[in-house]
Amino acid sequence: MRKLWKRTTAIVMASTMALSLAACSGESAANSQAGGDTATAEASSAGEDITLRITWWGGQSRHEYTQQILDKYTELHPNIHFEATPSGWDGYFEKLATDTATGAMPDIVQMDYLYVSTYAANNSLADLTPYMEDGTMDASTIDADILASGNIDGKQIAMPLSTSLLTVAYSPTCLEAAGVEEPTSDWTWEDFAAMCSEVHEKTGYLGTSSGPVDDTNNFNYWVRQHGEQLFSDDNKSLGFEDDQITVDFFNLWKGMMDDGAAADPDEYEQLLALGIEAGPMATDECGYYINWNNYTTLMANVNDNLKMVTPPQLEGGENGLWMKPGMFFSVAETSQYKEECAAFIDWFINSEEANAIMMGERGTPVSSTAREYLINSGKLTEQQQQMFDYVDQAAPLCGDTPAPDPVGIAEVNQAFKDAAYSVFYNQVSAEDAAASFRQQANSILAANN
Amino acid sequence: MVGEHKNKRLSAVCFHVFSLLLGFLMIYPLLWLLASSFKSNDTMFHNTYSLIPESWDIIQNYSSGLEGVAGYSFLHFFKNSAIVTVVAVVTTIFSSLLAAYAVSRIRFRGAGFWFGCIIMTMMIPSQVMVVPQYIILRALHLNDTLVAMILPWCFGSAFFVFLIVQYMRGIPRDLDEAAMIDGCGRIGILFRILVPVVQPAIASAAIFAFYWIWQDFFQPLIFVGSPRNYTIPLALNMYTDPNSFNNYGGLFAMSVVSLLPVILVFIKFQKYLVEGIATDGIKG
Amino acid sequence: MAMRKAKSLQETQHYSAKDNAVGYLLMTPWLIGFILMWAIPAGMSIYYSFTDYNLLSAPNWVGFQNYVTILTTDTNFRQALFVTLGYVFVMVPLRLIFALFVANLLNKKHVGMAMYRVLYYVPSIIGGSIAVSVVWKQIFGNQGVIMSLLERFGIEQEYSLVGNPRTALFVIILMGVWQFGSSMLIFLSGLKQIPDALYESAAMDGATPIQRFWKITIPMLTPTIFFNLIQQIINGLRIFTESKIITDGGPMNSTLTYVLYLYRTAFTNFHMGYSCALAWIMVLIIGLATVLLFKTQKSWVYYEAQ
Repeated sequence: MRKLWKRTTAIVMASTMALSLAACSGESAANSQAGGDTATAEASSAGEDITLRITWWGGQSRHEYTQQILDKYTELHPNIHFEATPSGWDGYFEKLATDTATGAMPDIVQMDYLYVSTYAANNSLADLTPYMEDGTMDASTIDADILASGNIDGKQIAMPLSTSLLTVAYSPTCLEAAGVEEPTSDWTWEDFAAMCSEVHEKTGYLGTSSGPVDDTNNFNYWVRQHGEQLFSDDNKSLGFEDDQITVDFFNLWKGMMDDGAAADPDEYEQLLALGIEAGPMATDECGYYINWNNYTTLMANVNDNLKMVTPPQLEGGENGLWMKPGMFFSVAETSQYKEECAAFIDWFINSEEANAIMMGERGTPVSSTAREYLINSGKLTEQQQQMFDYVDQAAPLCGDTPAPDPVGIAEVNQAFKDAAYSVFYNQVSAEDAAASFRQQANSILAANN
Repeated sequence: MVGEHKNKRLSAVCFHVFSLLLGFLMIYPLLWLLASSFKSNDTMFHNTYSLIPESWDIIQNYSSGLEGVAGYSFLHFFKNSAIVTVVAVVTTIFSSLLAAYAVSRIRFRGAGFWFGCIIMTMMIPSQVMVVPQYIILRALHLNDTLVAMILPWCFGSAFFVFLIVQYMRGIPRDLDEAAMIDGCGRIGILFRILVPVVQPAIASAAIFAFYWIWQDFFQPLIFVGSPRNYTIPLALNMYTDPNSFNNYGGLFAMSVVSLLPVILVFIKFQKYLVEGIATDGIKG
Repeated sequence: MAMRKAKSLQETQHYSAKDNAVGYLLMTPWLIGFILMWAIPAGMSIYYSFTDYNLLSAPNWVGFQNYVTILTTDTNFRQALFVTLGYVFVMVPLRLIFALFVANLLNKKHVGMAMYRVLYYVPSIIGGSIAVSVVWKQIFGNQGVIMSLLERFGIEQEYSLVGNPRTALFVIILMGVWQFGSSMLIFLSGLKQIPDALYESAAMDGATPIQRFWKITIPMLTPTIFFNLIQQIINGLRIFTESKIITDGGPMNSTLTYVLYLYRTAFTNFHMGYSCALAWIMVLIIGLATVLLFKTQKSWVYYEAQ
C-alpha cells in the first residue's frame, strides 16, 4: 500500500518536472510560427499568394455553399486562398478554444453571441474599427444597433452576419382545428396563455412546444417588457432589483405546463431529441412555437404553412423586442492578414455575388444592400419573404438594443434553467427559485466580469 | 436414454428462445438505425418505433450520404478512418504486448513502478489531457495530420497492457523456463510460446481497439482541422446542426455504412476468443 | 499485501543486467508514448489546476484556490460526485454479473453461438451514436414502451423515467448494463483459459453444473473478474458519453456525472484551471479505489503463475 502511494507521488513529481520542458517547447513553437507568418505577411502586401484559414459551424448545405462562396472569392482575387474548417455545432467551440489556446486560431472565425464577450475579454479577437475607418469595410449598410452588438469596450471585434428577432411561429391549421383565431401583434401574455389552453382542450395537442428556459432570451424579453434590463451596466450582477419579475415568469409557464398547454420539461426534452424538423410543429400538432424569425424558413422543408407573429405584449409594459445578431465573423488577433480578412468579410456581407449564393441561409442579412438585392432578386421563397417582412413588422415593437451578453452567460443560462426546472418539477416555490437564481447569477457574473 | 435426449433437446430450445429474445432487445437500436436509413426524411420520425418504413427512400439516403460533405466524398473519410484505425490498432497492440510481457514476465528494475504508471494513465480523464497533448503535437508539427490521430495510440494503451498482463499471469512460468532450457531467448519466448497462448486476449484487444479508434470523436476533433484529414465521426458530425435542417436520412445511412467494418472485424476476430489453440494440458 | 510481498521478493533479488536491458527494450515504445502523451500533459494539467487558466489567456498562479473552492463551496461538485458514485455502485455489479452470466451461456457448444455473440456485442459498438440517443429517449420517454407497460400494470407516473429527476439516472445505468459486451468478451477469453480437463474430472467426481461453476469457473476466473472490476470501476467513474447524449446531465442535474461537469467547466465555461483541479481530485479518488482493490487481490484472486 505504502509502496503504491510512493509510486504515485513519484509519478506526479516526474510529470511536474516534465512540465517545465513542455512549457519551453510550447513557447518556442509559438515564436517560430509567429516569425514565419510575419515574413509571409510582408510578401502578401505585394499581392502574392496568401492563404486565409476560416472556420464555421453548420449543416451540410451551409458547408457546401460556403465553400462555393470561398471559391468565388478566390476567382475574383486570385492571390487569396482559403483553408476551410467546416464543423458541426457539436465540438465547434471546443476546437476553437483549443486552437486559440495554442495560438492557432483560424484567421476568420464564425462566432456566436454566447461566446463573443469571452473571446473579447481575453483579447483573442482583432479590432476591426481601423478597417471600417479606412474603407476596407463598408459598415454603413448595417443598422447601428446591430453593428454595436459586435462592439465591446469600444472595439469592433465582431461583424454581425445576420439578425434574429424573437417571434412566435404558429400553425394556422392547428389553431383552426381548435377554433382559435390567428393572433395579431397586439396580443398579450394572457391571450397567449388562454389560446394555448384552448388549443390543448380542443385538440389535445400542446399549445406551445418550445423551451422557454433553455437560455435567457425569452426571460430577457420579459424583463425588458417590465422596463428593466437583464444585466447591470457593469455586468457584475443582474440588472433588475425585483425578484417578483422572475417569480411571475416562472409562474406563468408553470401554470401553462400544469394545464397541459405548454410542454413540461419532460415532454420538451423528448421533443428536442427529435430535432426541430421532427417536432409537433412539423405536423401541425401544436399551436405555437417561440423561436427566431428564421424558424419558418428552417421548417419549410417539412411544413410550409407556418406563420409568424410578434411575441405577446405585457399589459401596461414596454416594448421588449430587440434585434439580436444571428452570428458573427471575427478576425483572430493573432492573424497576420487582418486587412485581407476584413476585405473578405466586407465582401461576404455586402456583395451580390456572395449573397446570391448564400440566399439568406445564415438568417436575415444585416446589410441593407444585401437585403434589397435579395428582395429584388425574386428568388426568395415565401418563408424567406416572411422572414424579411417580419423585420419591418417587429420594428415598432423594438426597444433599445441591450449591450452584448456578459462573460459567463453560458453559466448564467445553466443556472437559470436549473432554477426554472426546480419550479417546474415542483421542488421549490417560484419565490425560492427566483432568489436562488439571483444569488447564483450574481456570483457567476461577479467572478467572470 | 430417450428421456435424457428429449430433455437435452428441450433445454436447447429454451436456450435458443431465450437467447433470441434477449438478442432482439439488444440489437433493437441497430435495427432501428437500419430501418431509419431506409426511411424518407419527412416520415423519419412519425411513428418512431416502427421498424418498417412508411415510405422507402433507400437510394436517396445512401447516395446523398455517399456524396459526402465539404467537397469530399464519404469514401474519402472512410479511407482516412481505415488508414488511421488499421495502423493504430496494429501498432497499439504490438506496443502493448511488449510492455505487458516486460512487466509481467521479465524481472527488471522498476517493473512495478512502471506497472503503476500504466494503471495510472487509465485514471486521468482525457478531457483535461487533450489541450496539453495538442500543444505537444503542434510543437512537433504533427497537428492536422493522420499521424496526429495515430500517435496517441501507437505506443500502446494502458487498457490493453493491463488486459494482456492479467492474461499472462494466468500462464504458468514453467512454460518460459522450459523454453529457456531449450535455448529460447526472452524475445523468442514471447513470440513463439506466449503469443499463441494469449491469443484470446490479443483478439479481444484488437476488437476493442478497432472499435474505439474507429469511433473516436473528441481527440480527432481537436487534433485535426481540415476536412481532408477528417475521419468518419468528424464527417458525420458535419451532417447535423441543431439549428438548421438536417439530412437525417443521409446521416443514418452513413452511420450504417460506418458500423459495417466494426461488425465485420468483430465477426472475424470473435472466433479467436473461443477457438484459439487448445490450452488443455498447459495447466496440468 | 500482495504487492508488498511481491515487491520485497523482487528487491532482495538480483536484477540481471540482461533482464534490465531486455525489460527496458521491451518497454521503449510504451515509455516514449508515456512521456509524450501522458507524463508531460499530466504535468501541465497539474500546473493548470493551480492557475486560473481559461484557454484563451495565459494562466495566472492562484495556489490552492481551485481546490479549496471545489471542496468547500461547489455544490455541483458534490452533486456530480454523488451521481457518479451512485452510478458506479449500481451499474458495475449489474453489468459484471450479467456479462458473466451471458459469457457462460455462450461458452458452450451450441449452434449459432457466433451469431449470439454478435447480437450481444452490438450494443457496445453503437454506444455513443445519435441513433442510440434517439432510440433510448424514445423507449424511456413518456410515449415509450416502458411507460405504456407501467401504465398497463396500473402504475401511473407523472413523468417519464428519463424525464423524472428521481429515475433518470436509472435509465443511464440501464444503458451501461445493456452495453455489457466488452466485459462479456473479456470473460469469454478468460473462460477459454480454463482447461476442460478440470471440468471433466469434476464431472466424473459427480459435481453438479452449479457446483462446477462455483468450485472451478469462479476461482479460475478471478484474474479476469479482477481485471473487469478494476476496469469497470475506473471507466464507470469516468462516465461521460451516455449522460451527455441522453440527458445532458438533466433533468435538474440528476445525471450530471463528474466528467460531464468537468467537461462543461473546461469547454463551455472556460475554466480550464478549475476543471484540471476537478480532474486531479478525481484521479485521487480513482487511485484510492484502485489501491484498495489491489490490496484485496491477495485474498481472492488466484494466479496460476505464482
